[in-house]
Amino acid sequence: MKEINELNLPDGLRYTRDHEWVKIMGDAAIVGISDYAQDQLGDIVYVEMPEVGDEFKQGEEFGTLESVKAVSETYLPLTGEIIEINEALADAPELVNKDPYENWIVRIRPADLSELDSLLTVDEYLDLLNG
Amino acid sequence: MEGETRKTVLHAWHAAHGANMAIFASYDMPLWYPAGARAEHLAVLSRAGLFDTSHMAVITVSGRSARSLLQRCFSKDLDACLGPGRAPIAAGRCVYGVFLDIRGHVIDDAIVYQVTEDLYMVVVNAGMGGTIAAHLAANRQGEDPAITDLTDKVGKMDIQGPASARILRGLLQDPEAVLPGMGYFSFKGWFDGKEAGIAPVTLLDGTSVLVSRTGYTGEFGFELYMDIARMVPVWETLLEAGRAFDLIPCGLAARDSLRAGAGLPLSHQDIGHWPFVHNPWLFALAWDKDGKGFSKDFIGAEALLQCREHRYTLPFAGFDPRKINACEDSWVTDMQGIRIGSILTCTTDMAIGRAEGDIISIATAEAAGKKDFAPRGLSCGFVRVEMSLAAGETIILTDGKRRITVEIREEIRPGRTARRAMARML
Repeated sequence: MKEINELNLPDGLRYTRDHEWVKIMGDAAIVGISDYAQDQLGDIVYVEMPEVGDEFKQGEEFGTLESVKAVSETYLPLTGEIIEINEALADAPELVNKDPYENWIVRIRPADLSELDSLLTVDEYLDLLNG
Repeated sequence: MEGETRKTVLHAWHAAHGANMAIFASYDMPLWYPAGARAEHLAVLSRAGLFDTSHMAVITVSGRSARSLLQRCFSKDLDACLGPGRAPIAAGRCVYGVFLDIRGHVIDDAIVYQVTEDLYMVVVNAGMGGTIAAHLAANRQGEDPAITDLTDKVGKMDIQGPASARILRGLLQDPEAVLPGMGYFSFKGWFDGKEAGIAPVTLLDGTSVLVSRTGYTGEFGFELYMDIARMVPVWETLLEAGRAFDLIPCGLAARDSLRAGAGLPLSHQDIGHWPFVHNPWLFALAWDKDGKGFSKDFIGAEALLQCREHRYTLPFAGFDPRKINACEDSWVTDMQGIRIGSILTCTTDMAIGRAEGDIISIATAEAAGKKDFAPRGLSCGFVRVEMSLAAGETIILTDGKRRITVEIREEIRPGRTARRAMARML
């Protein structure tokens, strides 16, 4: 298990209390899970994706990640429409373990960027992890 | 002991080596090490893995009435349990069975070892030493066998996988006296070096060990019992000796996925406080020659024979790695969506996959003509449903949101090595 100070938590992302991250890229955004989440889940063996075109509200479940032990839901950090899924994860879900930031899960078109204010900065996320 | 977290003597080692820890049966245990559960699972099929299992409990039962007490309490007939000829258990042999209550419900499962005519070792699950020792004590009938709960006094580690014997050989003082010809469910040695009546087995560093050709992975290997004080040095020596064979430490996640794929039950999850009937493990009972009644009387026997239980525990495997968590909020339906039962275990065996519908494993892929087989794993485990279903029938596991079709199986992971002849493994 990684110690908190060993976690890779990039600045410039926004994090959720459920351990997803979102990165704004122009009028789109990519979404993945944090290094803490992948470390806690262990080997990810399956990533269940939504369909392109699906719409979700902020905090709504959009898919699941299956580790060896259990199935965990993933929640969308921002209200929006799925515009791309990371197809590479279908054959190689372990990529999420290898680099959870390079290997985003979905790309979305956010509906309301003001929702970002309700997400955690890296410092706030660290506070959450430190309990 | 409820609420108190216990640690094995290897706890600090696990933490120092980056294990992800979790509480299991009140012990803080490694789930996996940095290699990850998938690599650990695969290592046990192709090379070897080392498991800290000293959370499990050892009880000794000794004295002239030890055997009759076990005959009354244990589900297997010690006078008729070995091989097709139903020979009596003998010194150096062990058998799997269950301890039932008077209703035929499982208190715990166990392996009973006959050490000498008057000395038996009973190995039960984590936290169950006190319970089973008390159950045995309560069922003495004017006899006075000594019942000793050695929880946290005797340590155990399991080396499992095809390279296990070759690794262990390098640690034994006299490997030729121990390993050749050693059959499945046999053992040698004793864990404290004092006990009379059984030839000791000693490691090069002087540690007395009980070497048992058993395990909980479905793969070839050994369980090693020793004084708790010897656990850390032996663990480190084994890992060092195993380096040339790519031996790696393995956690409870791999242990769980390996045992599920091997069709082995987890006590208090797949068997437990319901009648021990209609399940894949009825070989644990003292059947008579006709298989209709029992060859001895034991606690719970009458309840099982009278039982009207209509639920069946069945193994299943999926068609991909997807799982449904086994919990109160998930259930099983038939293909029409009618609720028929519950999920007991659901995990992923990462060494298997489907080839033209059939399950193959990394151990059988080459023989099946799939040399480049790179499995993504299949979900597998056990369900408890309200009717008997035949192998090949499909059912649906669901949590209300996701639905996963799985197939009832007789066997899950093919090509398991647990019973392979020792001569092939040295």
